[in-house]
Order: sequence, then structure tokens, then C-alpha cells
Amino acid sequence: MNASFLRRGAGASATDARDLRRTLLLTLGGLLVAVYILAPFCWLLLTSFMHEKDALSVPPQWIPKNPTFSNYMTFLDPAGTRAIVGSRAAEQTFPGMVNSFIAASGTAALNLFLGTLAGYSLARFHFRGRGSLLGLYLGSRMLPGIALIVPLYLTIKNFGLLDHLSALIVTYVSFTLPFTIWLLKNYFQTIPRSLEEAAFMDGCSWPQMMWRVLLPAAFPGLIAAGMFAFMTAWNDYLFAVILTSTTAAKTLPVVVAGFATDVTTERTLMATSGVLAIIPPLVLAFLFQRLIVQGLTSGAVKD
Amino acid sequence: MTRAAAAATRGRAKAGAIGYDRPLFAWMLNAPALIAIFLLAGYPIIQSVWISLHKYNLKRPQRFDFIGLGNFADILNAPEFWSSLWITVKFTLLVVTIVTVLGVAIALLLNQPFRGRGVVRTLILLPWAIPPVVNGLMWQWIYDSKIGALNGVLVALGILTEYRGWLSDPTSALLALVFADVWNVLPLAVILLLAALQKIPGELYESARMDGAGPLQLFWYVTFPWLAQTLLVVLILQTLSAIRAFDVIYVLTAGGPGTATTTLTWLTYLTTFENLDFGLGNAYALTVSVITLGFALVYFRVLYRRGDFET
Repeated sequence: MNASFLRRGAGASATDARDLRRTLLLTLGGLLVAVYILAPFCWLLLTSFMHEKDALSVPPQWIPKNPTFSNYMTFLDPAGTRAIVGSRAAEQTFPGMVNSFIAASGTAALNLFLGTLAGYSLARFHFRGRGSLLGLYLGSRMLPGIALIVPLYLTIKNFGLLDHLSALIVTYVSFTLPFTIWLLKNYFQTIPRSLEEAAFMDGCSWPQMMWRVLLPAAFPGLIAAGMFAFMTAWNDYLFAVILTSTTAAKTLPVVVAGFATDVTTERTLMATSGVLAIIPPLVLAFLFQRLIVQGLTSGAVKD
Repeated sequence: MTRAAAAATRGRAKAGAIGYDRPLFAWMLNAPALIAIFLLAGYPIIQSVWISLHKYNLKRPQRFDFIGLGNFADILNAPEFWSSLWITVKFTLLVVTIVTVLGVAIALLLNQPFRGRGVVRTLILLPWAIPPVVNGLMWQWIYDSKIGALNGVLVALGILTEYRGWLSDPTSALLALVFADVWNVLPLAVILLLAALQKIPGELYESARMDGAGPLQLFWYVTFPWLAQTLLVVLILQTLSAIRAFDVIYVLTAGGPGTATTTLTWLTYLTTFENLDFGLGNAYALTVSVITLGFALVYFRVLYRRGDFET
């Protein structure tokens, strides 16, 4: 009895040691991932708080010696006292941000509307041609943007919609929609049919049932799909640079790239515009983090 | 879904108030999406095929001569096509392999309980929110030969004795591009894989452990089968995005030094928008499309064989 007690004691302390080692390894792993993700971004962030002279110093100043908000002030007041090279690009940053936001939100909204209709029918109905439709949607996702850009440019020009946000939105919808449909179809399939049948029993029409029962139940899936569409639109450069030309429709990546290719621009201002370009999608991503993973858990992979 | 199960579903559906057997309604629901995709992908691709069959350079816009498959013959005879194809293959293989391995590793890590996991799970989304243009800009400074942070860190750690031009050497430029792109696209892989991991029932691990399975066996016999389908989805999405990578190349290397990072997509862009050769450019674009579709078909065959893709 005594011996077995001892054995158990030894076994427990061995497990404790293993648990401790495991916890240490996991924490170390988490730390490594955090450093890998944060280090490059921090460099950008720090540069945006530096004076140009400090940003160009060798070796690099890991902590700015004279941190400054002047770069951010330049964007708030481009016509202000600080005469700088590239102030035109600075002026374009806030209109660019508004344009990006409209384009990305419009893309997400239109995606969710069209994707809900198509996704619902693919999730619930078994009809002739359903398989071909799925194949078609997936196939259209395979076309690289560069293959569509010339004809799209010519068509949009014919409609007189160059430099219009609406043209940008419909373009983004065309290549985000297939993924949205696929995601929403899978999410709708995880929602029990009994839910909507009960709504019909209560006398709901189809649109009422969708609005009051199915869509609220599919909220995480909608958020995940909407975010993917939003990010794609927000991040795009290729279509935006070809289809827009003035602040009427120029999006933020175009403005930032304009900075980047202008050799006279101050590096710190470029860094600041980069940071500004990241804030809105970052806020959304952090805000919806849990819902996105939840939406994908049920939606991305079907049982 | 088996035929019997489908018939059962249909029977149940008929019993319900809506009836899930209304093909007309189903098609009506798909009509808006179909119209959008036809107008914005179908029609342009037909137009692109038409243009690719012509000699059409914007420097001489009045000439639009039909030359059949002449542009495609030119492409197959062009050494720059074959070299850019090889670079595209190298770039894509490297990015997809690194993203998949890192993605699985990080997703497995973030699925384990440890202090600060929530913070890391949120942090991992950060690169996703960074537009590739900004990403390219950020890495350009990190790699900078005179004032770059990478040189600064490596010299400070004593690994390098002097600053190096990472983007001026052909091999290191391609690798630099790969690492910059990997950092940007990694979050998507991680969140998709993490979502899949969270669906695995915990009992499976318990019973496997009861049977004496070690960590490697647990991964291979329990985790991997549940992850396989999502892995394929990740492979498809990453392959597509690597083949199409454009913004990051535009900002970071512009295809250089020389043609060391000139991928097919970049060559298509140069032909179309620098040389203004729309005929040849469209032929290049279609070639990229065919190659992408080829990749997709291979992946789909695997998915189809596993029976995961339908329904």
C-alpha cells in the first residue's frame, strides 16, 4: 500500500513535469508566432512616428529617439504649414480611404445579397443543373484577374463608367461572388430545415422566413463571407489602378502605390499612409474575429 | 449523397410547406448571380479570346488584323515565356509549401490551450488586413540594402558582417518575394485550418490515447483525416493566389533584377500595359487562365474522388 502510494506520487510529479514542459513549449511557440507577425508590422508602425532623418539612420533606430506625430498631422491637414514633397498624395489619402470603404462595403453588401439567394437554392433544392451550376461558380473563380482586365476595361469605358466606384464594385463582385456562394451554401446546409418549416407553418412568406429566421441563424456565416469580400475589395490594386484615375474613385492602395513609386516622397509619410490604409480592415477583423472563425467552422467545410 | 437519401430528402421536402422540389424557383434565385458572373466574367473572357486572335497594338490602334493562333505560336516560341513559366512554378511551389506547413503548425498550436492564446489568435489576422501594396512597401524597406531592418538585425546579431542587397541578387530576390507574400497570405490558411480543427470531436483523441497512440499517431490517424478536405481548399486558394500575385511584385521587385522575379502574371502585365500589345497580352492572359484551370482540375479530381465536392 505504501509502495503503491509512492508510485502514484512519482507518477504524478512526472506528469506535472511533462505538463510544465508542454505549457512552456506552447507559450514559446505562441510567442514566436506573435513575434513573426508583429516584427515586420512594427517596423512600419515605428517608421510612421519617426522624423525622416531618423528613419534613414544606420544602424536602424529600433526605438525612435524623437518620436513625432507630425506625419499623421500632415495627413489631417495636407495644406498646412509643413511644406512637403508629395503633399498631393497626402491630400488624396482621406478621399481614397472613403472610396475604399464605399467600394469594399458595396462589394460585401452586394455579395451577401446575391450569395444568399444562390447559396440558399443550392443548399436546399435538388434540381436539374445544380451540379453544373456549382461547377460554373467554382470555375469562374479560377479565372485570373489579369485575364479579364482588358475586356473589362474596354466594356466599362464603353459604358462611360471609368473612374466610377460602381464599376469597381461590380468588378469586385464578379470575382468574390463564387467564394461567397460556396461559403453560404455550406453554412445554410448546417441550419436545420425544421426551423424554416416552422416559420412557414406560422404563415411566413419566403422573404419573411429568410429575413426573420434563416438569416439571423446564419449570422456568423454572413459575417465571414462579408469579411472575405470586404478584404478582397479593400486590398485590390490591379483593377483599381486601371479603372480609376482621380479622387472621384481612386482607392487607398492606388494612392499608397503612387507614394511608393514617387522617389521624392518621404519614407515616413509613405509608412504613415500604409498604417492608415490598414486601420479600417484591421478594426473590422479584430472586431469580428470570433464570428469569422465560427462562421468558417460551420461553413467552410461540409460534414 | 446516395440516390435513396436524395429521394428521402425529396419526400420530406414535399411534406413541408415550401416543397424543395421547385426547379423554377431555384433557378430564379440563381439568376442574379448568374447574370452578374456572365456579364463580368463570361462576356469579357469571350472578348479576350477574340482579341487574342488578332494583331492589335494600342501604338497602332487602327490596325486589328486577324492572325488566328499566331499570338499563341509566338508565346510558345518565346524564351521569356518558358523562363517566366519556370519562375512562376518555383514561386508558387515555394509559397504554397511554406504557407501550408506553417499554416498547419500554427493552427495546431492555436488549437491548444495556453496563456495568451486569444491574443495570438487575434494577432494572426493582422497580415490579412494589410493590402499587398502596403505589404510590398513594408518589405521593401525591411530588405533595403542601405538602411533595411533585416540587414540591421543580422549585423547586430553578428550573422552578417556587412549590409547586403537582398533584392539585387536573383536568388535572394525570389526568396525575398516568397517570404513577403507568405507573410501576407498566411492568416487565411491559419483561420481556415483552425476552423477545421475546432470541429474535431475531443472524444476521438481520448479514445485514441486510450489505445496508446503517440502524438504523431494522433496527428496522422485522427487530425489529418479531419483536416484533409480543408487542406485541399487551402491548397487551391493558395495556388490560385500565388499564380495571380501581382501587387507585391509590382511594388517589391517589378520583376527584377533582370527577369529573376518575372512571373507569368507580371509578363502579361508588361506585354499588355507597357508594350501596349493587347493581342499578345490577351493571349498571355488566356495562357495563364488555362494553366490555372489545369491546376484546379487536378485538385478537383482529388476532391471528386474523395466525394467531398458535390452536395
